Amino acid sequence: MTVYAFFPGCAYQSAAGYRESVDALNARLDIQLQELDDWNCCGATAAFSLDEPDGLALCGRLFALAQKEGFSRIVTVCNACYTTLLKARKRMEKDPQKLAAVAHTLADQGLELADSLPDVRHYLDVLVADVSDVLEKAAADNGDTAGAVAVYYGCQYTRPWISGPDAQRPRMLERLFTKIGIHAVDHSAGTLCCGASHAVPYADACGPMIRRIVREIRNKGGGIITTICPMCQFNLDAGQTDRQTDPLPVTYFTQIIGLALGIAPKDLGLNKLLIPLRTEKKKAS
Amino acid sequence: MDDQHLLDQFFTHPDCRKVRSCIQCGTCSGSCPLAAEMDHAPRELFALIRDGEIDIALRSNTPWYCVSCYQCMDRCPQEIPVADIMYRLKQMAIAAGCQPRSHKLPDFYRAFADDMGRNGRMTETHVMARYSLKHPMDAAANMATALKLLARGRLDLIPNRTHHPAQIAALTTMCRKRGSDS
Repeated sequence: MTVYAFFPGCAYQSAAGYRESVDALNARLDIQLQELDDWNCCGATAAFSLDEPDGLALCGRLFALAQKEGFSRIVTVCNACYTTLLKARKRMEKDPQKLAAVAHTLADQGLELADSLPDVRHYLDVLVADVSDVLEKAAADNGDTAGAVAVYYGCQYTRPWISGPDAQRPRMLERLFTKIGIHAVDHSAGTLCCGASHAVPYADACGPMIRRIVREIRNKGGGIITTICPMCQFNLDAGQTDRQTDPLPVTYFTQIIGLALGIAPKDLGLNKLLIPLRTEKKKAS
Repeated sequence: MDDQHLLDQFFTHPDCRKVRSCIQCGTCSGSCPLAAEMDHAPRELFALIRDGEIDIALRSNTPWYCVSCYQCMDRCPQEIPVADIMYRLKQMAIAAGCQPRSHKLPDFYRAFADDMGRNGRMTETHVMARYSLKHPMDAAANMATALKLLARGRLDLIPNRTHHPAQIAALTTMCRKRGSDS
């Protein structure tokens, strides 16, 4: 069993079946996510917008918690947490004075921040890089299926961390889906922006951004959207208010993979989606 | 604070200094999903700053509309970290007390920071409640969704907390300041 330090982030617990489906996959694939004891909010875009040292301090505490438990990497399930932690890591590595300032503040609270900051990974990376062979073997012939899936990665998973074509049109999850018998549709809305937290104060401005993503996916034959981030899932699930067309269900990638492994929909928290997902038993081939 | 001082402060920052190499191609503005909402899209904002109009830049809504999608940064042919510069402008505007009054995002970020300062973690329901005190119409628009979330057991009424929230508040100047307000 592989053990990873886990930073769930604040949005995870009320997300639509994210925890349920991640737990179900972990049990099936023998992955252990060890939640960082007493983790705090990473500060997301808010802390870095208001004051950089605050943003660094919040992330620095998480790095120190992981180091205390002997971990060299932290796994996240949210694009905003992922980018915020990576950004803090990059800033502190580039500027030792910033790291020293955070370490000094943390020392007051009895926490030690060592120079070698932990790496940050998304749970998607764990599935793609570490357990894809196990996943392939675990794929079930008799599970539930839900139809053609369109992957929506959102912004902050690839950018600004990967450059070149993968920053705009990543394909790692589509490749994984194909390996385990999930039909992934090709489309070009995978990394367009959903509006993130701007969708609250600027619902009118973000509405067209959400509609554009859903329209592109529908036009390319997608019947279900799958996401890798609580913010993206919520915006696309709650933001399809156009009554002219049937809305597309918006799932987490862990729920779609869970179905392919033959895990029952009720164990994947699918009942928590705002737009219901209808599944059916795969036909015996 | 006078403009020259603010300009110096801006150009001292290594990320911001790269604005000098902007070729005004407009790829950033063309890539920005919210450019239409901005007083000055990024290309124009950089032109203004290079002309010395830092005050206009800091008072504009532009950095607050930046949603951190990083399209501009990925595509800039001069490798200017456009989104990172927007963060710097937001921090400078807050420090200089000149963020645009009409803009709602600073209130949203403060509601977020308040909740985090009090509990060490963020709870969406509580952030929305705090934000709604200033912008009740936005809350009203979200009531239907809130009821659906409640029906699915997804509305957190009890806040998420760390073991000792005061530690998190003490950790950051922002949270310390905001924590003592409440």
